[in-house]
Amino acid sequence: MSFIVLIAAGLLVPVFYRSNIFIAKMIAVAAFIVAAYFIYTGQSLNSVFSYFVMDDATRLMEFVLLATLAAVSLSLTGFERPLIAQMLFLAGASLAFLETNNFFMYIVLFEVIAIISYILVANIRNFYNAEGAIKAFIAGAVASGIILFGFALFSFTTDSFNYTDMNVSGKFTLIAVAIMLAGIFYKLTVVPMHGWAADAYSQVNHAAAAILSGVIKSVVLVATFKAFYKFLVVYPLATVLIFSFFAILTMTLANFMALWQKRISKILAYSSIAHSGYALIPFAAVASVYSYSGILYYAIAYIFMQTSVFLILNDLRRELGVKYLEDIKGLYKKAPLHSLIFTVQLFSLAGIPLLAGFLSKAVAFYAGVDAGLWWIVLIALLNSALAVGYYVWIIKHIYFDEPNNNVTINMSQGSLIGQLILLAGTVYFGIVASDVFSATISL
Amino acid sequence: MVAVDIIFAPIFLSALVYFMTKGAQHIAKYIALGWFVILFFIAFNWYNQLPADGGFLFLGNYLSVPQFGFELTLQIDALSVAMLLLTAALLILVVFTSWNEKKPAAYFSLLIMFSGPIFGVFMTTNVLWFFMFWELTLVPMLFLVGIWGAEERVYAAVKFFLYTHVFAMFMFVGFFLLYKQTGYWDLTLIKETALATPALIWWLMFLGFAAKLPVFPFHTWLPDAHVQAPSSISVLLAGVLLKMGAYGLIRFTVELMPVTTLQFAKWMLIIGLITTLYAGFLAIYERHIKKMVAYSSISHMGLVVVAISTMTYDGLSAALFEMIGHALVISPLFLIAGWLHHQTHTWYMDEMGGIMKKAPYAAAIFILAGMAALGLPGTMGFVGELTIIISAVKAYGWWIAVIALAGLISAGYIIWAVRRAIHGPMSPIVEKTAFTMSLPEKFALGIYAFLIVYFGINPQPIFDLANKAFSFFGGM
Repeated sequence: MSFIVLIAAGLLVPVFYRSNIFIAKMIAVAAFIVAAYFIYTGQSLNSVFSYFVMDDATRLMEFVLLATLAAVSLSLTGFERPLIAQMLFLAGASLAFLETNNFFMYIVLFEVIAIISYILVANIRNFYNAEGAIKAFIAGAVASGIILFGFALFSFTTDSFNYTDMNVSGKFTLIAVAIMLAGIFYKLTVVPMHGWAADAYSQVNHAAAAILSGVIKSVVLVATFKAFYKFLVVYPLATVLIFSFFAILTMTLANFMALWQKRISKILAYSSIAHSGYALIPFAAVASVYSYSGILYYAIAYIFMQTSVFLILNDLRRELGVKYLEDIKGLYKKAPLHSLIFTVQLFSLAGIPLLAGFLSKAVAFYAGVDAGLWWIVLIALLNSALAVGYYVWIIKHIYFDEPNNNVTINMSQGSLIGQLILLAGTVYFGIVASDVFSATISL
Repeated sequence: MVAVDIIFAPIFLSALVYFMTKGAQHIAKYIALGWFVILFFIAFNWYNQLPADGGFLFLGNYLSVPQFGFELTLQIDALSVAMLLLTAALLILVVFTSWNEKKPAAYFSLLIMFSGPIFGVFMTTNVLWFFMFWELTLVPMLFLVGIWGAEERVYAAVKFFLYTHVFAMFMFVGFFLLYKQTGYWDLTLIKETALATPALIWWLMFLGFAAKLPVFPFHTWLPDAHVQAPSSISVLLAGVLLKMGAYGLIRFTVELMPVTTLQFAKWMLIIGLITTLYAGFLAIYERHIKKMVAYSSISHMGLVVVAISTMTYDGLSAALFEMIGHALVISPLFLIAGWLHHQTHTWYMDEMGGIMKKAPYAAAIFILAGMAALGLPGTMGFVGELTIIISAVKAYGWWIAVIALAGLISAGYIIWAVRRAIHGPMSPIVEKTAFTMSLPEKFALGIYAFLIVYFGINPQPIFDLANKAFSFFGGM
């Protein structure tokens, strides 16, 4: 039911684009709420098709996803109206993607989400938008090719695509999985497959970038972990080697690149790449019971904070023309509310406690320690301490410097409600960890 | 009031205080003062409720996550109560000494926000929550130093934040390994289990605490942060944040892994000695008055490490006394150094000279606190240093009496500073300065002076607390 509601709303909202954008937004929000209600009552795709299952972890992630998308749609302006319908479709596809227990469906839905993401970034207003969009599209197409090749290899060796009875120890399985992961690493922006993301995230419309870097990446993280869990368990050594290598490479390179940047959107883009590196640690630590909690927590925390910072940047860019670090000097005087929320979310990205960024890192990294990879965790923690350098540098420009001019802006009501939803998520999951654990580990 | 509110209310309500008092900014300081006085009485109430035989006073369990063995356990013993009383007292005095601060609404809301996590650090026995509060104290400090500090404030604030954050990460991995080996996040429960390979954990945790204390190779953030911070914030940095390092060292190394600590005690001793002497020599060399005080602060914290390294009841009691003594002695020195800069616009002692004639009250308190820092009998400094030397000699033999050298070195820099800045011929800069000190500042400095002398003559209340805190070592 939730799926039908979302798709129907997605088809309906374009009717109101020209006449009244407010009604379109309200329909979208209502659809998200109704979908959440149906998920709460347990009706979802699993009640119709056998290759979808709903469990507590999926349900939690779906609530978070719908809340985030509702927050995004509230803070959109008329200029970004095509995103509303696209988000509704994305929500429908993501629900299926999270619920599926069939590898074939996983691949199909991965492609569906990829196609939606190409449409998301195609809101082109200038040359830079076009460059970002084209890069996202070409990288995505390459990734699709690689994934399909790996999937073709894998499909030779298995009779069933169901997660529970896939043949995970066939002749070519290890190679097939490695190839598929190479493709998925494009979407997760793992170094060295990250090149497109640094440009795409920073150059496409920031609201689209919020969805692309925040929402889609989190959803892919959780669904990929579920899909590949059996493979990872069967090949422990390869898992540890591959994932810890790419984790360290990704976070280190991305953090150093971020320290160099002058454009705020580029810093946030590289920070997003670095976060992919941290998120690979629970994959490497698949031997630990906490790995699923770790990845779920990471995805939940990440979706709130990353979406929020890009949305705020979107507001600032529209109202104040903010592009570079110099442009946000003394922002606390020009836009106190934006500054405060931006700062809190940046602290969360940096991993400061009582915010979701900290507890999610703690759980994800503890999974690493639990699996015996404490030195990788130490590298990751030192990396995240390095990352504090550029987050604090942004905050330094906001609060410690004096403004160049006296323009002041207010936050629109929709934006404020959206940001408060995201902020509530960040703070709630920064203090209360029990939801994630009770969804993933039964006592 | 539930114990957990004392931690969380200030963190979340400080923003409210800021927005409410934005129109009438002077109200903020009364709210802050009122809250800190309440905190002091709450801490004092806990002091009265402490179990007589030592051990913990249980305050509550919150936010339980059974799957992860993770909950906010609040319980306090005499050591925590000593720290809580010290923190609350310093916070009250800080309100007085920053009575006329610029942008008071933001300043005092940040102070209120700071009071939450700092109480949390000393109240929780859950290792992960301890770490969370530990990290959270950095956030208000970043803003307090970065916005209200002196010329190089941004550099100092960011360096302070990054430095302590990076070293905390080592500690964090240590805590992770602790949980992996024992299956508990709670200190009191970990204590009952046997640790398999504690050496790695010990060093990881020691690194985190050592950078906070700070000890010799990791001390470089301190002179920057303490000098550039506004004086009242220097008081908090030296009086409370450094104590977090010493508190952590006692709680997590001495109490938790006594055998391993004993094994590495000689390393602690060497590091402590180097810190004390090296920082002392740096202080002699320094012309910059506030840097001189900052190095003196490092030097005294080195003594605390020496005292902790003895691993005896006497040593730990001496360490606790010196921790409190250091907070009360170094604070007026920082305050007057900052005040002198504010009045004369120079940092350099050789450009001051003759302060005594123009500002006798401040000069007298500077001399009193300076004498306490060098260990004059009748002041807290004497009791602290004497007990540390006695306990160290008991533990290591007569050769350790070289740490008496530290007293000699501090006599060197203090007396020379007094000679250069306070007495001496009146410099032209001092000549043309009209010194003014507000009444609240005078009052706060008077309280510091009183406490230094009071506990110097009557140190028993602190040693009573130490007796309860370290009763697990057998008591006196």
